[in-house]
Amino acid sequence: MLETLIENNVVCHALEAMIFASITCSILGVIISRMSLSSIGFTMSHAAFAGAALGMFLGANAQMTAIAFSMVVAALIGPVSDKAKMAADATLGVLFAMSMAVAIFLISYMEYMGKGLSASSLLFGDVVSLYREEIYALAAVCFLAILFVLGFYKEISAIMFNMKIAEAAGIRVKLVYYILLFIIALSVALSLNIVGGLLIFVLLVTPASIAGQFCFNVRSMFIVAPAVALFMSAFGVWAAFEYTMPVAPLVALLLTAAFALSVMLSFKRRINTKMN
Amino acid sequence: MSIIDLAGIYTAYEGGEKAVIRNLSLRVDRGEYVVIGGPNSAGKTTLLESINGLVKITHGRATVCGLNVSRVSDEVRRRVGYVIQNFYFDPFTPFTVEQVVMMGRFGRLGLMNRPAREDYDAAQRAITQVGIEDLAHKTIGTLSGGQQQKAMIAHNIAKEPEVMMLDEPFSNLDFHAREYLQGVFKEMARKGVPILMVAHAFDGLPDIPIRLVVMNQGRISCDRNCRAEEVEDIIRKECVVPGKCLRRS
Ligand SMILES: Nc1ncnc2c1ncn2[C@@H]1O[C@H](COP(=O)(O)OP(=O)(O)OP(=O)(O)O)[C@@H](O)[C@H]1O
Ligand SMILES: [Mg+2]
Repeated sequence: MLETLIENNVVCHALEAMIFASITCSILGVIISRMSLSSIGFTMSHAAFAGAALGMFLGANAQMTAIAFSMVVAALIGPVSDKAKMAADATLGVLFAMSMAVAIFLISYMEYMGKGLSASSLLFGDVVSLYREEIYALAAVCFLAILFVLGFYKEISAIMFNMKIAEAAGIRVKLVYYILLFIIALSVALSLNIVGGLLIFVLLVTPASIAGQFCFNVRSMFIVAPAVALFMSAFGVWAAFEYTMPVAPLVALLLTAAFALSVMLSFKRRINTKMN
Repeated sequence: MSIIDLAGIYTAYEGGEKAVIRNLSLRVDRGEYVVIGGPNSAGKTTLLESINGLVKITHGRATVCGLNVSRVSDEVRRRVGYVIQNFYFDPFTPFTVEQVVMMGRFGRLGLMNRPAREDYDAAQRAITQVGIEDLAHKTIGTLSGGQQQKAMIAHNIAKEPEVMMLDEPFSNLDFHAREYLQGVFKEMARKGVPILMVAHAFDGLPDIPIRLVVMNQGRISCDRNCRAEEVEDIIRKECVVPGKCLRRS
């Protein structure tokens, strides 16, 4: 998409991927951090891992099975929490453990049979060897996330405020919440190839936390978080290729530095002792 | 037809030992001002939440605004105001009072529809009516308990409900605010919106005929019309069962 601007194909793909992943994750991150769902990062990365192991075991395309398995887990989060009367956070823990068990089971089994599994791209991400299709998928999920937040903005904001009050207002809380969990999980699963399961938190949590240092209301958080994430990842990709450094960890460190700076500069923390 | 029509309803919570609401029938008509009293755990909150479908009734039939609550509880909640008893907003809640009041309109707007001029106007009117214009742009989590309660009342007034249910709406309010808001609710009742108010303190009730409903262990033990100053005495008399009373006698 940016080929006309950037000649090097690898840099171009890396930049596009980082941009889409960071916008998607940071927008959803605003919702995630407000609703204490950040363990969705763990759960989805391990679901993808289990799916990849399943693919290898069955001799299918590991990438496809990773996405398929993630989608199944994503669809389970809402209904399981509801049936078990648990906070979604606890369900995420249970599903995380389940995914991990499936993965370890299959990997151990394959070891007995003399087959190995390489999942390093899921854990660490691999932004320099992406296929064009993966970038299209990321663009699609980014578009979907933005559309979803815009389309259901009032429902999402009411749910972020207080689930019970949203329900009492007559909002179809359950429906929106299930779709929300599903889209978050799907976006996380698709972004895994870019930054990997270990760094996905940086995109989910850090931009939203930076926005939280300055913003008094959600609307501005939904704008500030992706703006910061976009700027930092574009800068990170450029710097990484310019000075031959690994892309994802550099972006992670840059975002963390931005967070530290924002904590120091936040005017929200100013104490006013005005006496008249 | 009554706006609220409960016929022999039972409500039980998952895992509870027995039904909390037991064989309860109640009809409420336009413009009635109903005060619901009774000891702690009598089932007052559960009754309100059975009316708007936040908890499901297990037996019996509940009809509100002509709608079957068990079937279309979303639609019922869009038309019924409900100020909940307990809420807590942490100081970092990223919503202003104005936004929270506006949320009262969201249910009736329906999925995907954006608020229009009339919704903003209704929210603004509610803020003025409750008298919190000065708080409109403040973050809700940083307000005092009473200010938050006023914001939640404005949220429900902005909804322009066909029934208004309030669960101890005055627990944090000063006497001036109580009297003022009782006047607001009296005016709503005069316009035909029935008021159902759960309360433990009865000062400042409006000088209109009051229908007093006393609950005891999931049943209605008294349902009669009275004047504001009689409410407290009647409740004291109704609740003298030893160990289950407001005041031991
Ligand atoms: N979510 C719940 N799960 C299980 N039991 C519940 C639940 N909520 C309420 N109960 C039980 O239902 C009974 C009635 O509770 P309810 O909240 O309706 O009482 P109340 O009359 O509103 O009391 P109060 O004056 O203290 O507000 C209590 O015995 C309580 O333990
Ligand atoms: Mg109660």
